[in-house]
Amino acid sequence: MEITPEEADRLSNLFRQRYHSFRVLLAANGRALETMATMEKAYAGTRPFGMEFVVSNVTSVAIRVYRMISHLEVLAPDTYSELFTRFDEIRADLDAIVNPPPTVIGAPDVVPMTQIRRTDSTVVGAKMANLGEIAGTLGLEVPAGFVITAAAYRRLIDHNDLRPEINRLIQNAEIDRPDRLFALSSQLQQLIATAEVPLDLADAVKDALADLLEGLGSGVGLAVRSSAFGEDSADTSFAGLYDSQLNVHPDNLLETYLEIAASKYTPQAMVYRFQHGLRSEDTEMAVGCMAMIDASTGGVAYTSDPKDATDRRIHISAAIGLPKTVVDGRFDADFFIVERTPRTVVQRRIAYQTTALVLRPGEGITRSDIPSEIADKPTLTDEEILSVADAAIRLEDHFGAPQDVEWARLADGRLVILQARPMHHALVPDAVPTIEGVPIVSGGVCVSPGAAGGPVSWVRSDREALKMPNGAVLVVDYPDPRWAALLDRTAAVVSEHGGIAGHLATVAREFGVPAIFGIGELEVLRRGEEVTVDADGLAVHRGLVPGLEKGRRRPHLMEGSPIHEMLGNALSHIAPLTLLDPNAPEFRPANVQTLHDITRFCHEKAVAEMFAFGSDHSFPKYAAKQLHHNVPMQWWVLNLDDGFTGEVTGKYIHLDEISCEPMHALWNGMVAVPWDGPPAVSGSGLASVLFEATRNPALSTPFKKPYAQRNYFMISENFMNLQSRFGFHFSTVETLASERDSENYLVFSLKGGAADMDRRSARAQFIADILSDKGFHLTVIEDTVTARASALPRENVLDLVKIVGYLLMHTRQLDMVMGDQRSIDHYRSKLENDILSLNRK
Amino acid sequence: MTIRVLLVDDETSFVETLDRRLTLRKLQVLTAGSADEALDILEHNEVDVVVLDVRMPGTDGLTAIKTIKRRYPLIEVILLSGHATFEASVGGMALGAFDYLLKPVRLDELVYKIEDAFRRKSLQEEKIRTLKNAAVSASGEQES
Repeated sequence: MEITPEEADRLSNLFRQRYHSFRVLLAANGRALETMATMEKAYAGTRPFGMEFVVSNVTSVAIRVYRMISHLEVLAPDTYSELFTRFDEIRADLDAIVNPPPTVIGAPDVVPMTQIRRTDSTVVGAKMANLGEIAGTLGLEVPAGFVITAAAYRRLIDHNDLRPEINRLIQNAEIDRPDRLFALSSQLQQLIATAEVPLDLADAVKDALADLLEGLGSGVGLAVRSSAFGEDSADTSFAGLYDSQLNVHPDNLLETYLEIAASKYTPQAMVYRFQHGLRSEDTEMAVGCMAMIDASTGGVAYTSDPKDATDRRIHISAAIGLPKTVVDGRFDADFFIVERTPRTVVQRRIAYQTTALVLRPGEGITRSDIPSEIADKPTLTDEEILSVADAAIRLEDHFGAPQDVEWARLADGRLVILQARPMHHALVPDAVPTIEGVPIVSGGVCVSPGAAGGPVSWVRSDREALKMPNGAVLVVDYPDPRWAALLDRTAAVVSEHGGIAGHLATVAREFGVPAIFGIGELEVLRRGEEVTVDADGLAVHRGLVPGLEKGRRRPHLMEGSPIHEMLGNALSHIAPLTLLDPNAPEFRPANVQTLHDITRFCHEKAVAEMFAFGSDHSFPKYAAKQLHHNVPMQWWVLNLDDGFTGEVTGKYIHLDEISCEPMHALWNGMVAVPWDGPPAVSGSGLASVLFEATRNPALSTPFKKPYAQRNYFMISENFMNLQSRFGFHFSTVETLASERDSENYLVFSLKGGAADMDRRSARAQFIADILSDKGFHLTVIEDTVTARASALPRENVLDLVKIVGYLLMHTRQLDMVMGDQRSIDHYRSKLENDILSLNRK
Repeated sequence: MTIRVLLVDDETSFVETLDRRLTLRKLQVLTAGSADEALDILEHNEVDVVVLDVRMPGTDGLTAIKTIKRRYPLIEVILLSGHATFEASVGGMALGAFDYLLKPVRLDELVYKIEDAFRRKSLQEEKIRTLKNAAVSASGEQES
């Protein structure tokens, strides 16, 4: 039937619209598969990732899949609409995973310390929950006070509508880049520190403060301490990563509250959460407001050796003044070890203390010189040491695990517990080879065991922190907890001052970074010089000692973390492929289980729809043509768009009328080396062929007969989809080789064969081996080999297409020789040589 | 033919940079700092593709896309979001967005999407033209 020019225009437009949708669908497919692979790799790997990684990748896959369904709908209106329903169901499952309900609902804004028990940790944070428990059930003294809860923090954020802005800033930053991290941290802290406190929250805080001050009398300052959810838990210490402010004037409580709340986003806390796979929503910031304790001495007690969990003696650090003197690590402190039974002091190391941190009149804290006549005297008497040890052991008994206890002693002799949390022991590193030679520096205390080397990087300021190269040996004058932000990319730490009880020491142990503190003068270490730190041997050696990296064991902090688990759960709705066989009756929209299933279904049906439309329509410009190469051949070509150089009116198409670059590349590969003919087959190989032939395996193709019996190319200028049968083999090659590198791909799959399954599978593996170094992602399932490469420049894709064309021709019937190793070796070397010569031609 | 793009985002520095870089790639760029300004510009200018930030003060992107698609069904809209809310993104697609990209976006990627969106718009316009021609020629046949 003649068609009018108008009808021809309309049909032509229709074809191009369909082709456009097809292209968009293919691009979305490629991107969805790539994102799934990225997510699976992250899940299986050891590199940390954040909540943003999970949410943005889940979102990205969902958008691509939705695009595929929408464009399949264009190709086949109302045919597969049930996919939308299934997609919505899977989407709802994913939404529940990536947006879990908040952990604290309906909790009060302010809770007095006397009402708090350890079970309240989701409301007041573990640090304050433990203190409440200690006072309420153990009768040990803790400071009086109250907690501004995590619920109040959430209200503060919501009241100022900060959450979307916070999330937006985090999503746009690359927090593994130090400069971005510091800038981001400062922006986020600004947002919170300048937020408006809701009026009723401010009133509740003022009431609680008035009650507290009434009991304390005038002139008492406040200790305002972070108590974030997840802080001080058994798995994560967050030691010193958030702010605490000491001796705050009661008039300044609200401002201080905002500053402490803002410290949720210190660089060190952000890096720590990232490394541990913690969602920032799960670490809402509760803030403890307590009476300031005017300590005459203070420090830290561990109920076992933090470097060795089997040593259950009590390890006590003590200094004159506030316990902050010890935990900041700025000044040297006394150190005692107490045996449990009989309870005696068995070891003591007395530091020469020159400076103490004490309360400043009015507000804040200040340094105070220690008179020389007491500088070298023990901070505590034996009786006092034992009383600290007793309290620590009672805390361990009560909480059922080794404890890290911060304590203060008043001038009148009372002992006050400021904090008790589960201890974090160092991982026991693998044996380190003995390091020979004379060290450059030695001494100090091993605060985290192991050995590692790298270039020296002195860090005294944020500016220097930003410049620290990855894998450096961090050298500091004192172990400021701020430098915890650097530990994830630090080989080892050496500090002139400080001891085992500082916050930075705790985090170094958690991250498995070898560290020596209190080693003394380090000026001899020059920036950039390569050194090796042997923490167990308390020595720094010149140069890199080989073989240490292998012995290095970094803890896999992500595993089992909330974010790791979240990614795993999300992946279970995304990645598994359950719709495998397009010819099975189960291959229907109602049966898709995962987003991967949907991509598979959409791709399969889109190819079939494009084909059916082209072959069913009698529009001559787009009708299938038979390839004519000297003689008519068993290849048909369907033009999807611009695949022919011009108008082709007859039944046949000649190669030189085809403008499809991938098709030319494939063809060149097919004819580059003449085929030797079928391989010589032994008697048993032939028997296997005959047996398989009688079973007449129905090899799958997405096409209805009679097309299934032919070899079809669907092409445009830079796209090609080939479905071909050579006897018992069925193969598909699909490729896009355009100017857009990121969208390019090549998928080649080959299945079937005439021999038995063992030999067919061996052939599939044989082909995978041949392709293994060509940049493909390969899978072999039974007798099917699939090779996928993506995001390559056009020329590289075309080179790969050529190799695939060659293999299509030359691996025919190779399944039959797969029983014979000599033949296998022969063909392997022949094929490899031919492939090498291919792209030289 | 030059593609006419309207960038809508309240972050002026982002818009300025993108404007400069897209112009270098031979796109004709208009910019707006809010959804309302964008609607005003659309009233007086020919635009092929709108690149629309989802989260803006005042009228947000998801509300704006509804108005744009209602008034100018042929104009393609690409949503751009600094924060991936899972629900909003798929919701935005369902409102007729051509695509939904997450910031930070690679410039190449954005240009490809703009080109693809433009291609779709051109094909739709051509479709309308061919339908009209077919109708005209059919009525012409009847008259003759």
